[in-house]
Amino acid sequence: MSVASRRKEHQLVNTTEPNLLEDTFEYSLPPLIKFDGPLIEHIDGQVVEFDPKSVETRDIVVTDTTFRDGQQARPPYTIDQMVHLYDLMAQLGGPRGIIRQTEFFLYTKNDRETLDRCRELGHEFPECTGWIRAVKGDFRLVKEAGLKETGMLTSSSDYHIFNKLKFKSRQECMDSYCEVVDAAFEAGVRPRCHLEDVTRADFEGFVLPFVDRLMRMSEQVPEEQSIKIRICDTMGFGLHYPNAELPRSIPKIIYKLNQECGVPSDRLEWHGHNDFHRVHANGATAWLYGCDALNGTMFGFGERCGNPPVEGALMEFIALKGDLCGIQTEVITEMADYMRSIGLPIPDNYPLVGKHFNTTRAGIHAGGLRSDERIYNIFDTTLLLGRPPRVALTDKSGADGVAHWVNEFFGLKAEQRISKIKCHKLARWVMDQYEVEGRMTAISDEELEAKVQQLMPEYWEKHKLAAV
Amino acid sequence: MSSVSDRVVAVTARVLKVDPENVKPEDNFTADLGAESVQSIELVAMFEEEFDIEMEEEAALSVETVGAATEFITKVCQEQGKL
Repeated sequence: MSVASRRKEHQLVNTTEPNLLEDTFEYSLPPLIKFDGPLIEHIDGQVVEFDPKSVETRDIVVTDTTFRDGQQARPPYTIDQMVHLYDLMAQLGGPRGIIRQTEFFLYTKNDRETLDRCRELGHEFPECTGWIRAVKGDFRLVKEAGLKETGMLTSSSDYHIFNKLKFKSRQECMDSYCEVVDAAFEAGVRPRCHLEDVTRADFEGFVLPFVDRLMRMSEQVPEEQSIKIRICDTMGFGLHYPNAELPRSIPKIIYKLNQECGVPSDRLEWHGHNDFHRVHANGATAWLYGCDALNGTMFGFGERCGNPPVEGALMEFIALKGDLCGIQTEVITEMADYMRSIGLPIPDNYPLVGKHFNTTRAGIHAGGLRSDERIYNIFDTTLLLGRPPRVALTDKSGADGVAHWVNEFFGLKAEQRISKIKCHKLARWVMDQYEVEGRMTAISDEELEAKVQQLMPEYWEKHKLAAV
Repeated sequence: MSSVSDRVVAVTARVLKVDPENVKPEDNFTADLGAESVQSIELVAMFEEEFDIEMEEEAALSVETVGAATEFITKVCQEQGKL
């Protein structure tokens, strides 16, 4: 069809009432993710359709590796810190266990004590699982810890097979991995095979034959011990774009494992890395194409550039399901505050929890916030995260920004709000900071608080002292 | 006592730092007298102080010229019993 023949006229739908598209942007939830057709992928010359709406009914979940991959990116947590984070994670994921599992190292005395103390809390979710090397002897640790499931390294690219692990052939490698899987079965433990570096592997030549063999082995054990597959995009090479090539194509990887090898969706898990800024979209893509578990870490802390942020995955989950499903989103803020308190930096502009994630600086934006906070706030951040939208003051803030800051500071709503006219002295002081004093930095909340007390004493007395 | 018009000119000249002799009724606060965003707010605040009145924010800020300000303030003063 030529471009000319696709042209059509579009008529203005005139109205005097705004259409705020509230079916999607209902504000009390993250904006809902809706689809109006199937996802299309060309696989081996065939057109394959995926139904993205299946996520509404599938038991998609988030799994966590804050204490394993997350800890590889930083100095070790103390036992108390991990136990507290685990406790918060259980609250965050809610009673339905949307954060279904979390994994632990098992190698040191501290590792094992942490695991014991977390389990003593008695939470059903997240279930504690282990993480070990592909070494038969390591199953003793899993069994001693009384865990039902453990992840194990089964690296799948030739970079790892030959250059790291020094196997002489792929056959030798596969046999070695399968011996360890057998050891897991013998120990009564469910193995979760981590296909490390799968997005750089010979997919047809090694990954598929290996997973075929794992599925045959699974047929010999009870369902609860059958092998899970973690798809590890170790270097962040995975691509979510339709019709990308293997081994980088996430849709194709999942389709082949799911449909050709027969790994059920509930035994597939995606583990991503953020080396190319694709980590969150890649993880959500895995859900859409048939992988039920999305593995991540709180705030994305993880090896090098990090993993899928669990809090982002939970927001995506809510947006796809159209329901909180028991997720206690406000705990995200509590966890971020705790992370900061133990020395983990979270950038100010980091989504959902950064100090300024819902802070606007431009005066024209502050004016919008003043009239309807939905204009410049992504959702009801006060309700879901306990974080009202804020304005940070600079030379671009204008009187609107100053007035918004003052009203938020005093917590004033509706008719109580102070007009920008009444904030003129503070607005003048802010402007003079830049125009007269030559200031180059934003003004801190502490500075502003002191100035409000000095320049707006009647309001300070009425609203601040009254609150005390 | 000075007229409303004279007092409006005096406040305008003081806030915008211009010579009152050069302020004319047809002058636009922004285009002719150079009022910037914060100065517009300060003008309204100073008018309120000068005349001891309360003005509706959006309406007051929509006034564009010195003459229109005189009319607007005169009306508000009458409504609030200040004249």
